[in-house]
Amino acid sequence: MRSTRGSSSSGSDSNQRETSTHGGLGMKTAAILAFAGALAALFVLGVGTGWAGHRPNNEVLVGGAISQTGQYAEPAGRQVYSIKLWVDEVNARGGLLGHTIVLRLLDDKSDIQTSIKLYEKLITEDKVDLLLAPYSSGITEAVANVNERYKMPFLAYGASSTPIWEKGRRYIFNIVAVAEDYQKGAVHLARQIGVTKAAIIGQDSLFPRQAGKGAKDWCKKLGIDVVLEENYPTKQTDFTALLQKIKAADAEAVFSNSYFADSAAQLRQMRELNLNFKLYSSTIGPSLPNFPEQLGATAEYVLGFSQWEPLPKVLGHPGMQEYIERYEKRFGEKPNYHAGGAYGALQVTEAALKKVGSFDNEKLRDALATMEVQTIYGRYKVDARGMNSHEGLTFQVLRGQRRVVWPEKWAETRAELPTPEWSKR
Amino acid sequence: MERSDVRSLYLLAAFLVCAYAMPFLVGAWAGTVRLDERWLGNLATVVVGGVMQGGVYAMFALGLTLIFGVMRIINAAHGEMVMMGAYLTWVAFFYLGVDPLLSIVLTLPIAFVFGVVVQKLLLDAAVGAPELTGLLITFGLGLAMIYTAELIFTTDFRTIPYAPGTVQLTSAIAVGQNRVISFVLAVAISTAVYLFLKLSRLGKAVRATALNAEVAMVCGIDVRRIYLITTGLAAALAVAGGALVSIQFGFNPETGVLYTLQAFAIIVLGGRGHYVGALIGGLMLAVLENLVSLMVPNGTAMVELAAYGLMISVLLIRPGGLMGVKEG
Amino acid sequence: MTRVEHLRNLALLGACAVALAILPHALTVYLRSFVLFTMMYVVLALSWNIISGFTGYTSFGHVAFYGIGAYACAILVADYRWHWLPTLGVGAVLAAVVGVGIGYPVLRLKGPYFAIAMLGAAEGTRVVATVWDGLTHGGLGISLPSAETSLETYDAMLVLMLLTIVVAYGVGHSRFGVRLNAIREDEVAAEALGINATLYKLAAFVLSAVFPAVAGGIQAYKVLYIDPPSVFFVQITIAMALMSMLGGKGTVIGPIVGAMLLYTAQELTWVNFPTAHLIAYGLFIVLVARFMPRGLMGFAIDRGWVRKGMIH
Repeated sequence: MRSTRGSSSSGSDSNQRETSTHGGLGMKTAAILAFAGALAALFVLGVGTGWAGHRPNNEVLVGGAISQTGQYAEPAGRQVYSIKLWVDEVNARGGLLGHTIVLRLLDDKSDIQTSIKLYEKLITEDKVDLLLAPYSSGITEAVANVNERYKMPFLAYGASSTPIWEKGRRYIFNIVAVAEDYQKGAVHLARQIGVTKAAIIGQDSLFPRQAGKGAKDWCKKLGIDVVLEENYPTKQTDFTALLQKIKAADAEAVFSNSYFADSAAQLRQMRELNLNFKLYSSTIGPSLPNFPEQLGATAEYVLGFSQWEPLPKVLGHPGMQEYIERYEKRFGEKPNYHAGGAYGALQVTEAALKKVGSFDNEKLRDALATMEVQTIYGRYKVDARGMNSHEGLTFQVLRGQRRVVWPEKWAETRAELPTPEWSKR
Repeated sequence: MERSDVRSLYLLAAFLVCAYAMPFLVGAWAGTVRLDERWLGNLATVVVGGVMQGGVYAMFALGLTLIFGVMRIINAAHGEMVMMGAYLTWVAFFYLGVDPLLSIVLTLPIAFVFGVVVQKLLLDAAVGAPELTGLLITFGLGLAMIYTAELIFTTDFRTIPYAPGTVQLTSAIAVGQNRVISFVLAVAISTAVYLFLKLSRLGKAVRATALNAEVAMVCGIDVRRIYLITTGLAAALAVAGGALVSIQFGFNPETGVLYTLQAFAIIVLGGRGHYVGALIGGLMLAVLENLVSLMVPNGTAMVELAAYGLMISVLLIRPGGLMGVKEG
Repeated sequence: MTRVEHLRNLALLGACAVALAILPHALTVYLRSFVLFTMMYVVLALSWNIISGFTGYTSFGHVAFYGIGAYACAILVADYRWHWLPTLGVGAVLAAVVGVGIGYPVLRLKGPYFAIAMLGAAEGTRVVATVWDGLTHGGLGISLPSAETSLETYDAMLVLMLLTIVVAYGVGHSRFGVRLNAIREDEVAAEALGINATLYKLAAFVLSAVFPAVAGGIQAYKVLYIDPPSVFFVQITIAMALMSMLGGKGTVIGPIVGAMLLYTAQELTWVNFPTAHLIAYGLFIVLVARFMPRGLMGFAIDRGWVRKGMIH
């Protein structure tokens, strides 16, 4: 083999004896200038637009850190839409308790460490008057310690894992349905069509595992035998073997606690392998707006869970129609449940502040803990842990549309189950 | 071959036999291995699926092994180039209505130019430098590509519903249409690259440069030009791999890193700079992953462990990999 | 280097230590966290520098040790109700043991092969932390009992940073350090001169594994929730390497300067420019690696601003 380079990491990087390897002085100087310029630009950009820290008395600072980049950017981004919409609406109708809202929305890069640091910043440095929640169960779990310490309440709209509310925390409340109920409707529907054996699979991270735990409990309650339970790595793309294993275990239904990439891969590979199950349900994937469009016929008959759908006629919550119209007009798409949840939480917060009459955090906390509010998202009333008993819905993708099929009071149509064979879809 | 080299090859072969026997043994112990007809059908399906998957893995690895072989640079932005290919194909399909396979013809020249520019501006400086320089340059490039893609496409997942049907090989073995298509394409492109390197004048120059850049230079080969062509070709291969990704999987800007890691494992297995090795490495990795997933209890969670374990073990036993020569 | 210079440097460090020890009382909690994480990155960059800067073995998987330390702390505090300080020691010992286990075989590899193997080792450690459900709670992560942590963790990180600087400085100026440099420059020649390269490399590797583990433990107690993707995050390794390279790897002062500069620059920009900031960060990495592979210190030495021996 070549011995002059590659054979060892020979010491051209030594600071002791190296002479310039990249050409002469001119290039070096240019490079240094470019580098210094880039660094200076970063600083100027950062400082120049930074928060000045002063605001007039008639303004109120509302702040939060929510993922605008990284793995959670997609769902969190839709919550940001709702937040912006709400802020502009409130300001248009005279502000919060007469104060104009100044919004301070930071990006936590979907990173826990960044998130807690930013919440410390918002609380102790920016001194926000009202705190907004972050997105994702993991980040909320970490941030809950920070706001608890400074006794700043917030109403979470991006976390559904029960353990967050089982540690005796006083300053965090929840508006969304818990992860454990994501498969509730699907399990009930499976029971109705006589499924006796099911498989529960899911990504190995906080939220899918909670959902899986819930699915298992529901199966137990309704007398469905869980014949296979398996987690897979978050980035798994090939499910050939897992699907074979499910088939070999004679499962009739698959409850998959999955996001977009994994549920899409599972469905496609089921089709490729011609594996027919009576029912397939996924927690997150099918509820994403572009799921049916991107997958085409493969997405047909799939069950999915939604916290909320932009269907005013079906759900009948007050103010839904107007919210949906305003949202659609501004952002060019219908709000999904992430957006709806954030907006509902903000409505609750606004109502609580009105009731309290000031930005007193302790009183706001008490109001959030006790009051009952009707929002576009549904009824809000928390239990002793701070959890709302929000009820989600199960839908089925039918002819490219998501149609609510469970619970019965909201069902738009009967679920078309068992799923036809692949050759007939 | 030296004696010690032969010995390490035997050692590696023995290790691989053990590695493949492992899922069977664990499965037998856990009772998931049943030697009835149905189970054998499952096994066959999984192996066939693994082979198909392996072809696509090999596509990821080809470009990486090319750059590594010729310039000793680990291209940490490789997965992002794959991702770029997936997006180019997606855009061509959804906005221009171009068939994903046909669009490769359109996207390859773009990718080649991209690779040439990257080489000219960035990687030339990393040739011969300590490995950290190349690693950081390409990693930084990858980050910039990821977030540029997020700016344009958001983090929403995309995929192309292409040839979703099934091919029933026997009554027990089924495989997806798009997988067969991908596999055939992957093998065809790999073969074409192999023939190009083996037979054409330019390809021979590339191989000579990979073997010894100084000697190649003395023989009148314009090494800088070879580097440009190498990176251009590698980018083109990555983009072609991206086309296959787009018809098989959901992808978003952040999924690229997965392909980089898989490609690392494959080139280690197959041997640096070996194009046939990449194909064999890809097949072996994918089949092993599927076997582990099928037979080990909660095995799908262990798939990654198997892949990294295989990679490190091969590195330790024989850094040159299956097809490589002794190196270290 | 003379004794006087050593004493002067020590005095300088002492002054910094006193200033940093008084500082947190004058800061908001956020700025305290900011300084804490800056110190953490100083620790990480300096430790990485021992194996990769001094010895020339580019570790692309150092985050493994950081993660091990974080998990040691989280498991012992959350599940076994330990006080958090002793868990840092457990993390350090564990990292040293794992360091020997990984380092002994992997340090035989050279150049890019070592880098890839370390990357694989770090990813493998992450997978083990995910799969070993009974111990680590897998993907559920671990939530630590809430505690007022901003001063305690700050002080712990300060002590750790001072310790790391003293050790790195000591290594840099000892025969040990000179021998590590000799291995970096030419391992075969170094062995011919009677240096037991295997032993020295392993010692440097273990030394560079211990401090990140302690830093990881402190971090876990500061953040109070960890899961495998967040503590085995490949970008933490990249940050170690980049900071060292920016300041000047193979020196003592370089990684310190690099860590402070880069972390501050990031802090100032990301808050305001979410996606654009990350693109800029990527391009910044490219620029540094492309144009300044020897870092600011290399630049200063070339200009004669800094005497070679002084900062080493």
